[in-house]
This record gives sequence, C-alpha cells and structure tokens, in this order.
Amino acid sequence: MTPLLLATLGVFFAYAVYLATASARQTGAPHDFLDGGLALPGWGYIFAGMGVAIAALDLESHLLLIARYGLQYSHAALGLVLAAVAAALIHGRLWTIARMTGIATPGRLLGDYYGSTAIMLYVLLVLMLFALPFSAVLLSQTGALVEMATAGAAPAGLVIWGSAFFLALYTIIGGWRGLIYVLAGQSLIVLALLLATTGAAGIAAHGLSFASYGIAVPAGVTSDRLPGVIQFTAGVGKSVPLAGLWTTTQIASFALALTGITLSPGFLLLGVSTRTRTGLAFSQVWMVAGVAAGLLLLLGPVLGAELSRSPRLSLEAFAGLISRLANVDQLFAAGLVIMLIVSQQIAVAFFAVSGASIVTSDLIKRFVLPDLTPAGERLTARIAIALIFIAMAVLADILPLPALLLSGVALSLSVQLLPALLGVCWLPWVNRNGVVTGLIAGLLFVGFTEAAGLVAFEAVAIDLPWGRWPLTIHSAAWGLVFNIAFCVIVSLWSRQRETAASRDTRHRLHEGLERASPVRLGGRATRAARWSLTLLWVFLALGPGAILGNGLFSRETFGFAGTGGQMPSLLVWQIAAWFTGVLLVWWLAYQGRLGVVADTRVNVAITPPASPLTTDRRPRWISRMLGRLTQRSGPGEAGARAQR
Amino acid sequence: MTELTPNDALDRHALIMGIWLAFGLIAALLLHYGLGTGGLPAVAAGFAAVLAAFVAHVIVNAVYATTFTRSELALGLVIYLAGLLALCLAALTSAGFRDHGFVPMALGLVATGAAIFFYMVIHFGVRGVFDAFNVIGNFQAGEDGGPSEEGRR
Repeated sequence: MTPLLLATLGVFFAYAVYLATASARQTGAPHDFLDGGLALPGWGYIFAGMGVAIAALDLESHLLLIARYGLQYSHAALGLVLAAVAAALIHGRLWTIARMTGIATPGRLLGDYYGSTAIMLYVLLVLMLFALPFSAVLLSQTGALVEMATAGAAPAGLVIWGSAFFLALYTIIGGWRGLIYVLAGQSLIVLALLLATTGAAGIAAHGLSFASYGIAVPAGVTSDRLPGVIQFTAGVGKSVPLAGLWTTTQIASFALALTGITLSPGFLLLGVSTRTRTGLAFSQVWMVAGVAAGLLLLLGPVLGAELSRSPRLSLEAFAGLISRLANVDQLFAAGLVIMLIVSQQIAVAFFAVSGASIVTSDLIKRFVLPDLTPAGERLTARIAIALIFIAMAVLADILPLPALLLSGVALSLSVQLLPALLGVCWLPWVNRNGVVTGLIAGLLFVGFTEAAGLVAFEAVAIDLPWGRWPLTIHSAAWGLVFNIAFCVIVSLWSRQRETAASRDTRHRLHEGLERASPVRLGGRATRAARWSLTLLWVFLALGPGAILGNGLFSRETFGFAGTGGQMPSLLVWQIAAWFTGVLLVWWLAYQGRLGVVADTRVNVAITPPASPLTTDRRPRWISRMLGRLTQRSGPGEAGARAQR
Repeated sequence: MTELTPNDALDRHALIMGIWLAFGLIAALLLHYGLGTGGLPAVAAGFAAVLAAFVAHVIVNAVYATTFTRSELALGLVIYLAGLLALCLAALTSAGFRDHGFVPMALGLVATGAAIFFYMVIHFGVRGVFDAFNVIGNFQAGEDGGPSEEGRR
C-alpha cells in the first residue's frame, strides 16, 4: 500500500500547489494574500467551513473515542449543531460590521470596539494556540498514521517535516484565497471518502459490525446509554465515572467547547472574507448542522464499531481496520488513511494560515512595522507562515507532550470569546471592563479544569483536589459560566463610570448595524418562541433531557411500537435531535435572517486604542509618585544643595 | 450566458477541480473494487459517481451562468477516448478482464457517454455539440486554444 498511498498524497499536493499558483497568478494584489480581498466565493465558506468543522473535531480521535465509549460519546457530534447556531448568531453580524468599519480581522475589531489592547492580545493568544499546539498535535497524528500505514517505510519524523514543508509551500504561494480553494476541494474529498470507507468497512468486509454486535466498548462502559445526567466525580485523573464519562452534562458542556470551532478567530476571518451573502446561512444550516453533524452521527458509530474489534483502542485499531479493508481492496484501505490525513491537513493549514494572516495584520503591521507597504505585508505574512510551520513541526516532532497539553485548552479558550462577540454583535451594554474581567475569569477557570493547568500546578508542588473536567463538566463550560457572570456583573456595575466616548462608539456601531442589516426575529411572541425553542432543543438534545433517549424508543411508548431492540433507543433519539436541530438552525439562519446579511452602505468609524508600544502611558499612581519626587528635588532645592 | 470576470473564472475552475477530484477518487475506488471482487454493482456505482460529478459540473455552470469551456470539453473527450482505448487494449491482452470485466466496463462507458451526449444535445442542439468538439475546424479558423463562446474566461 505504501507506493499507492504516497502517490495519492503526491497527487493531492500537486493539486494544492497548482491551485495556489493559479490563485497567486490571477489575483496578484498583495492585500488579497491576507484576506482574499474580502471577496472569497460563497462555496469556499460552504465547503471549507464544513471541512474545518469536521477536522477541528479531530476525526481520528473522534472515531477512537466512539470505539471506547460507544453511542454515549457519538452523541457529542450534535454539538456541531450548537456550533452552527453560534455561527448563525455571530458570523452574519460580524460580516456586516467588517464592511461598515473596514476592519476585517476579529482581534482588531474586538480590540478597537472595546478600546482594549488586552482583548486583542487574548484573541492572538487563542489564534496561536490553534496555529501551534493544536495543529502540531494533528501533524503528529499524521506522522504516526503514515508510519503505521507504510509499516515504517516512511518514519513519523520525516512525514511531519515533509508535510509541514509541502503545506507551507502551497500556502506561501497561494495565501488565504488559494488556501480556501484547496480546503474546499479537500473537504469534498473527506466527505466522499467518509461515505466510501464506511460503506466498504461495513458491507464489503463482513456486514455491519455495528448492526450485528454493536460497539464493543471496554467492560464497565455502557455503549448505548448515557451514564446519567451528572456524576459528582473529582474529574479525569482523580476518579473514574461509573459507566462512562459522557453524561448529559459532559455532552452539553463539550458541545459548548465545539462552538469554539466556529468562534475561533480563523473561522471568523473565513466568514468575514466571504463575498456572497447567502453562503453563510447555507453553510451553517446544511453543511455544518446538516452534513457534518449528520455524517458523524450516522457513520461515526459504524466506523467506531469496526475499530472497537481491536483489543487496543489506539493506532493499532486503525491498523486492524486497514488490514481488513486491504483484504477487500487496497484502494479502500488507502482511502481510509487518506481521509484521516486530509482531514488533519485541512485543520493544520487553515489554522496556520489564519494565524499568520491575523498576526501580520493585527500585530506586526499595527504595532511593530506600521509603515509596511501592501507588498511588505504579503512578504511578512509569508515569513510568518514559514515560521509557524517550523514551530509547529518542532512541537509535533520533538515536543509532542507539551503540544498535547496546550492543545486541550484551545477550544475552551476560544469559546470564552462568546461574551465579547455577543457584545459587538448584539448587546451594546457589554463594556470593556466586563469583557476583560470575564476573559480573565474564564482563562483562570479553564486553566483550573484542564490538563495544562493541573500539570502547571503540579510543577509547583500544588496537587489540586480535582482533576480534568470535574463533575463531568468540560473546562469550556467552567470557564464560560464564570466568564459570563463576571462580564454581566462588571458591565452593569461600571456603566456609570464609562467615558462618553467609549459608550458613544458602541452605540454608533449598533445603530449602524440596525440600519444596515436588520434581523427579522419577528414580534415579541415570535422572538420569545425562537429563543425558547432553541433552549428547549439544547435541553432535550444535549442537556439533561437527553437522558430520556436511553429508553424512550426501546419500549412501547405513547402507543407506538418501540424499536424492539433492533436499533438502540439512544441512536433514534440522536437522529431525531439532529433532524430537529437542522430545522432549528434553518429557522434562525434563514427565517430569522441571522445568516442572511444585506448589502450595507453604512460606514462607522471606530477609533483604535492608543498603542502601548508607541504612546507613553504610565499608570496614574506612578505619575503621581514621580511628580512628588520631582517636586521635592526641584531646582530651588538643588540650588541650595549646591550652595552648601 | 455571461462572461465571467477573471476572479469568477478562477473561482469556478477551483470548484470544478474540487468536484472532479472528489468524485473521481470515489469512481476510481469503486471501479477498482468492481473489477476485483465487487462485480457489476460496484462498477455501476463507479460510473454513477462519474455521472454525479457531471451533474455537479452542470449545476456549477448554471450557478455561474456559463457553460463548459473548450479546454474542459477537450479534456473530457481525451479522457473518454483514452478510456475506450484502455478498454479495448485490456480486452485484447487480458483474458480475465475479457471474461469478467469487459461487459460491465463497456456498458458503463457507453451509458456514461450516452448520458452526457444526450444532455449536451438537449442543451446545445446537435450543431452546437458538433461545433464545440470541432477542433479541426477551430484550428483552421485560427481559434485554437480559445474558450467556447459561453464559457470564455
């Protein structure tokens, strides 16, 4: 299989380099390199967005977790519906704001709107977490996967550096536009291969394992039931939850973490840089909530069941499945490996290039080299891409453990941007003090409940009494609850002490938004119905109500015959939740016009905060102290001292 | 039919490449499997994947209000003829293929060609289809390498 696999990967790289070169030759304008001139085709967002949503979930780990926990983990794929709701809430409004203000990057937009450099730096921190450790983990997985598939003929280190080189090559040539072209094609490939390899694994090999035997999870884990609403455990690493980790609380909080994908700075840039206005809603409803969530929900258990036949649920499980597929047809075996590799490369390239683009625009151009010409910006972005890929390969090859620890906080910290984004898009009363305090609280609580923070505490000899995700609540939810609480309290508390200028900026933007892109959430009753139904769906599909799915369809209920044990009740519940979830997102994105934005002619200027690097801003207490000192040792005193 | 701007033409080109790459990969998987142990259903599914790609191509044309470019038509023709040639050579040189693979592959190629030809005749008329593929005539008219009128980019 080695020559076949390497040849196919070679073809994909040639395809990527060709499209990137065509893009670079066609659109030679330097500003196009960073954001595609804010005129990317709608299908770029539609297909690339779906691919990034699947890839950022980490397809390989997702399938292995299904093999380990069965349908209770597969339920988490419904989180992509919630991610689509978050995208519907934010992306359309941000698209309009970007056109109104002329600010395309999320970091600069948030920083300027709230008048805070700290918020912008937080966005850059999240961006770098995605671009470096998060992507490094995926690159490291690619290396291990190819080494396994080629039986050591292509060592992991070589694959990591080779992949990093080729990914850097085409992204340096094509920039943001070239990248989105390639990602859209690769997303279609992942989609097609997911269908093909699942069919091959299930039907051609020996019939569907999932239908015949279910998912053979380890002893003590319930495969087709959720293990309760919540479990009062100390967290992963301290205690083992009964019957599995994925309680409804864990699933709901993990779904919140998944919204971190669509709220990540890179994904926001993708939404903003799209030209067409209807692509946003189409992607949110049909591709992310529909295709991505649906395929993972329906096909994930089939592949998970095949993987669960292996005694060790690691890369060896894939080796077993690959050898079984190779017995059917070598191409199917190669197809499975290619699907996983391409999905990893989608996320790696996307987060690396979005990171380089935003860092160039928000940090280097703004603070370090403000006189950069557009051509200089492009050169800087290219250098940034190269440096990011080198750092990523170093992390993947030499420091995989720190990369793994840090990658765990990327999604959780990304979702902490939700209050800040809601403030920009919907809530004019959210102010800088509230957002900054909330972000600090969120950052701390994510750190307290994630592996990276726990290891850091252990390093200074403090053994915290809880582990990762205590009470089966994901770190994203721990952080977000305190983040929102602090943000609301401090925003309301500090309303009177705000400067008129900052309040005026916010209100001008929101008035402009109302004029430029009014949403049609309907009258008071319709508006209440929309949000009530959304909350009800979250409660029943992801929250405590999902526990009803454990048995509702396995016995005769409300006069209807149950599935009679042919199909797990939980799977029926998941499919029903997915179906209603898609309808819900459609209702919000199309009927509520959250995902359909209007052409805007409204311009609003936002004054950026003074740069801490170019202005002399001393804290007031230092100024006062310096003032006293200078008064004491004034010229008179100095003269007297001289006479003495 | 509208004339595309350079950026739109590039967008369309990238989308069409992505579509054919994904569906082509699936078609290759299914045809390879069909010629091995999969049999007629897998071969039929492989050709269905090719037709699905063609349908997606037509949809893209409709969205961009354009039609096939001359290079796309030429490439399609070359690939189709290469497929026919490969089929004949395989039938002549491999007894196993002649016994098991020839009939499904030949049926699939003929059906695919017929479906595409049928669509093009309905859409462009017989004269339009002939003009599109009339490479020699275009050479003589000094139009070689130029796109078709509708698909100019």
